[in-house]
Amino acid sequence: MSFPSPETIRADFPIFRREFHGRPLAYLDNAATTQKPRAVIEALVDFYEHHNANTHSGVHTLSEEATELYEEARGRAARFLNAPSPRCIVFTSGTTAAINLVAQSWARPRLQPGDEIVLTAMEHHSNLLPWQQVARETGASLRYLELDGEGRLATEHMEKAVTEATRLLAVTHVSNVLGTINPVERLVRQARAVGALTIVDAAQSTPHLPVDVQALDCDFLAFSGHKVYGPMGIGVLYGKSEHLDAMEPHASGGGMVLRVERDGADWMEAPWRFEAGTPNVAGAVALAAALDYLQGFDGEALRGQEIALTGYALERLGERSGLRLYGPSDPAQRAGAIPFSVEGVHPHDVAEILDGQSVAVRGGHHCCQPLMAHLGVPALVRASLGLYNDTNDIDRLAEGLERVAGIFRHD
Amino acid sequence: MTEDADTLYREVILEHARHPRNAAPLEHPHRRARAVNPLCGDELELTLTMDGEAIREIGIQVRGCAIAQAAASLMSKAVKGIALSEAQALGRAFADHMHGDETSLPAELDGLRPLEAVKQHRSRINCTLLAWQALGEAAPLVEK
Ligand SMILES: Cc1ncc(COP(=O)(O)O)c(C=O)c1O
Repeated sequence: MSFPSPETIRADFPIFRREFHGRPLAYLDNAATTQKPRAVIEALVDFYEHHNANTHSGVHTLSEEATELYEEARGRAARFLNAPSPRCIVFTSGTTAAINLVAQSWARPRLQPGDEIVLTAMEHHSNLLPWQQVARETGASLRYLELDGEGRLATEHMEKAVTEATRLLAVTHVSNVLGTINPVERLVRQARAVGALTIVDAAQSTPHLPVDVQALDCDFLAFSGHKVYGPMGIGVLYGKSEHLDAMEPHASGGGMVLRVERDGADWMEAPWRFEAGTPNVAGAVALAAALDYLQGFDGEALRGQEIALTGYALERLGERSGLRLYGPSDPAQRAGAIPFSVEGVHPHDVAEILDGQSVAVRGGHHCCQPLMAHLGVPALVRASLGLYNDTNDIDRLAEGLERVAGIFRHD
Repeated sequence: MTEDADTLYREVILEHARHPRNAAPLEHPHRRARAVNPLCGDELELTLTMDGEAIREIGIQVRGCAIAQAAASLMSKAVKGIALSEAQALGRAFADHMHGDETSLPAELDGLRPLEAVKQHRSRINCTLLAWQALGEAAPLVEK
């Protein structure tokens, strides 16, 4: 375990050697995607230079190596989530694909009119549109848990989160816009009490918090490699074996069958039956390297540092007139995202001017249009933190906002 | 780049964004269209009254960034009084120009030159086209 400073961590990331407009980059768009440490880039290159072959098919040495590396990566992902077995881990292209898999393979054949899917008002479109589609196709209905003034799930909604009609609770662990950490453990308990299943969108929690699927006791959980310092195009669906084993594949083709005849086929067991076609082996291997990298740090110390930096950012931004912060005021109740608006200036203009100062943030609806509607804004600016950020990045953000104010000064 | 933000947010742009021309909705429009930028959720509503083929009045309401506001305002000045089909053709020429085509800016659109700085900011080009997009789709409301 090591606990180096953000500055030493930055040295692990080749991209920070690049200058933007003559300055190093203050990268504050980590909720969109994180930068990649050298170890991850090298794992990708190493796979293609030394081990590249298709998996589960060839008997030749390379193919056996590739298969072994791929299955080792599955084991690494299982350990990352404290899953009871690698067989609970399905590799997907990301969180979106993982949630859609559950929507198509678990929900669609099982839900009926009268059944209820419970969501929150802060879901990313990826944990919303698949359920809208399932609801349309099955006649099930959607219900939303509303938020309080600080962007947390409102207590009175939490108490009545589920009903006898609830079959599925689909909830984000951490909001990609507000940074809010949701009490997922409690919600899962409530769901279990009425016999409903739960799927947790862990895309934004896995980069910041320990995620233990056995402690959470959720039925499904999804995350993306590219948000935990791994490559794009690889992600994970965790599912309890009792569910995965009972689900039909959402896609079929090569690599997922035991035997095929002219008018029928036998699927392989889970998780392989959900991985039709050639998988992203290099991505899985590099994801394992990313998880090694992330878990090579003292997690508690990192989290403490992040809470402190969040507090610093809330303070620095909070003192600016015309700037409105969203999300919980307590830094310990949030992870990563720090959204705000600047009076009289559209978020895109804010982000553009900050980019001119080599400060990368995001302005937009962040794939959360219903949340934007709830907050009564068309869009927000979002700064979001990663391992390598420090107070200097926040200071540069604040200076950039000074420049925004200068350009958009009111006459 | 500091200078870049300066060229992008020049005084003309900011002035049009703050005080957009032809921003009032028309009361009895002959044509109407809405345009949405799916990337950022910006929305624009356009109404027209016509003198035969020619645009008599134009009203544009934008919910969006300063670039989209200014672009709509500059466009509204440029198309007033000319035939709708001609204005739509100008819109296509403007789009080609903004997308880096080597085509030059039509003389009629000289007033839109300050928007050329947006060419360097690929993700924002659509902000300058939103109003033109609506103009291209402006459908008749009533048969006269
Ligand atoms: C909360 C949340 N869910 C889902 C996703 C979708 O992840 P991906 O695009 O990697 O599938 C994201 C990414 O933006 C997210 O922040």
